[in-house]
Amino acid sequence: MSKRVVVTGLGLICALGENVDQCWNAVTNGVTGIREVKTVNAEGCYVNLGAEVDTPNEKLSNEDYDRSSLLCIKAAGEALKDSGYEVTENNSDRIGVIIGNCVGGAVSIDKYYTAHKNGGGKNTDVLKMPAAALANNVAFHFGLNGTTANIVNACAAGTISLGYAADLIRAGKADAFVAGGSDSFSSLAFAGFHALHALDANPCSPFNRSSGITLGEGAGILIVESYEHAKARGAKIYCEILGNGVSSDAHHITAPRPDGQGQMLAISRAVENSGLTANDIDYINAHGTGTAKNDEAEFLSLHTLFDNNDHLSVSSTKSMTGHCLGAAGSIEAVFTVKSVCENVVPPTIGYTEENLETLKEKAGNIDFVPNTKREKEVNYAASNSFAFGGNNASIVFAKKPHDIPDRTNNDKIYVTGIGELIAKPRVEITSDDYKEYGIKMAFYRKLDRFSQLQLLSGMKALKDADITISEDNETDIGIVVGTADGPLTEVYNFQKTVCENGTASGSAFAFPNTVYNAAGGYFSIFAGIKGYNVTDANSIQAGLQSLCYAADVIHNGDENIMIATGTDENTDVTEYLYDTLGVLQGKLGEGSVSLVLEGEKSAAARGAKKYAELAGWASAHKSVEFGKIKGSESALKKAIEDACKSAGISVKDIEAVCGFANGISEVDELEKQVYSELFGDIPVITVKNDVGEARAAASAEQAARAAQLIADGKYNYVLAAAFGVGGQYSAVVLKKAD
Amino acid sequence: MNHEEICAKIKDMLVENLRIPADELENDSELFGDDIGLDSIDSIEIIAGIDSLFGVQMTGAAREHFQTIETLAKYVESHKGE
Repeated sequence: MSKRVVVTGLGLICALGENVDQCWNAVTNGVTGIREVKTVNAEGCYVNLGAEVDTPNEKLSNEDYDRSSLLCIKAAGEALKDSGYEVTENNSDRIGVIIGNCVGGAVSIDKYYTAHKNGGGKNTDVLKMPAAALANNVAFHFGLNGTTANIVNACAAGTISLGYAADLIRAGKADAFVAGGSDSFSSLAFAGFHALHALDANPCSPFNRSSGITLGEGAGILIVESYEHAKARGAKIYCEILGNGVSSDAHHITAPRPDGQGQMLAISRAVENSGLTANDIDYINAHGTGTAKNDEAEFLSLHTLFDNNDHLSVSSTKSMTGHCLGAAGSIEAVFTVKSVCENVVPPTIGYTEENLETLKEKAGNIDFVPNTKREKEVNYAASNSFAFGGNNASIVFAKKPHDIPDRTNNDKIYVTGIGELIAKPRVEITSDDYKEYGIKMAFYRKLDRFSQLQLLSGMKALKDADITISEDNETDIGIVVGTADGPLTEVYNFQKTVCENGTASGSAFAFPNTVYNAAGGYFSIFAGIKGYNVTDANSIQAGLQSLCYAADVIHNGDENIMIATGTDENTDVTEYLYDTLGVLQGKLGEGSVSLVLEGEKSAAARGAKKYAELAGWASAHKSVEFGKIKGSESALKKAIEDACKSAGISVKDIEAVCGFANGISEVDELEKQVYSELFGDIPVITVKNDVGEARAAASAEQAARAAQLIADGKYNYVLAAAFGVGGQYSAVVLKKAD
Repeated sequence: MNHEEICAKIKDMLVENLRIPADELENDSELFGDDIGLDSIDSIEIIAGIDSLFGVQMTGAAREHFQTIETLAKYVESHKGE
């Protein structure tokens, strides 16, 4: 099978314009989008600047969605039209949606809280809050029925989403993805970065004054497609997507490693996975946020890796777009693709004559493209994104086809460890739980509930698998966290304070925990895990989708061991929000369940115990409105059939199912109907009877139970399947280990 | 407000805003030592907390004033009403 993946469509909206041409024109001419802030009240703050999109929600789309979804739909519409991709009933399940995001529906939480305080607001507005709605809304709007994911790794999200899309296409799981990122300008981010003193009082000045960031908003979308498919439909091809790399710093929840180690690992992985060397790269669209800590670390990383490259240009377009957080990587990917196609490198703006002198000393061999664009041949270009939680990502685009090394790992994958922390309605955590893993108060007191659950289940799973992280294996191990609601309590409480006491009252302590990937970040920091690190917010099934994602990462040859987790909290805020929606009252549970997935060779080398083999895995989607599942049963069927197919078995070989029934009749009936069609009469273990609707934790627990049933010798093949609102499903086949 | 009351208010603020377990926090506990382990982000929070509780500005104050609840309270007492 061809491993070529290409870009066939582009869409963009940010402070520089409403489409790719407007934005590209502005960014290459050094026009800034940074202006006085309009949508956030900056009273009492030391800064009043941002890079907002002028277009109001009503003009973006007529749907009643959160602004992040509306921005994304606008950019996705442009990209799909640009690609000429005709979505039909027959091909709609081969084009999926993977969107990066940071603040989720923060703007909607702000609006909801303010409206409720004044006696207004709609209860259904609660559905606009989780980041999980984003990809689903895009898929529903355009009738796309391929699998979805919401990559919520803060400022690296938009780059990870593109890499994941390309990886899934190479693995044959889709023909194309609407992939990228979207984020709206929020009081959450403004108040948070303000509290951290990370905002520049003036327009941000990356690789120059480096005195802070300026926030922006927008969406960047790429149509990522298999070359064969693009060729067959006669599509225009912008460029190739080669390799990508993802890593963790395992250092600090907000600050990057000063030695640049994690950044360099991500960049090196991207370059090596592309079959290139550092000397081949012509242009890097840097992360270049403009904070002193980022810029110093990135300077160091770039110099260390590229000082022998005599033709490298580096620029930070954030100097014009502002930092668009979860959209940043994808907006910058659009610019990088344009750069490859047009042989033009956009500048970093903001240098005075005096600054230019200083830059000469700092730049060395690297051309930082100050103030004015550079016209040059760009054959290979990379885009870097580094995030809170210490997540780093880099991706490489190329003008011409280039053979990339086939790293596919066809080893069997085993479940070699399980860490469960799950209960209805709540899990009890005491200081003894932390002591068991040597977690000091100085560390755990920083964690919100979502992160506490994640850290403890992750450590428990590592212990169960008897894995010690050391210099020898730290980069061979990765993490996938799946969640439905993420740290919604922390976000809601932060937003509440800001709504009541003003933007200047944001808490520097609480803000880092409002990002969805903080939990995975803390886990990597404490455990010392430096490999792949991603968080997928995709409703209840995300805990099971995390296993599918983790297995794909191992299969792709990226890591030997992956910890796949499902985590969701149940707090007073969670209960209040579900009460408001009028669902799951009295049925909620919470927890975190982690499974260690490990390739055959790695497991054999350390004589690991094996619960079961993860023989097959699949996700599928049938777009229905977010919050509902009716009408999406075909996707459950498809996920199960595809999982069995990938396990090399027939559906009839399945002996038992760990199911997802949660006591809501619509859900339970749909499940029953599909199982009876596929399996006839089969034992179904209703996991949520014991643990409640613990959402992503429950869907991961279904897989853990399936693995345990097999380890106990009860069955040879057990299936776990899970649903997500909006029509997303995942299924895994656990098999008796050899 | 006497010294003990100021200490008590600061302690409540640290417990509430920085999630330090109340039973592990004494007036002379080293805030930035190994056990409690506050860092630069936490000091931003302390500055904001002291400002909102007592109207005392600690931005730029020397490190020694942040050592314990006791030293924070003394700083507040000597700068209150400035």
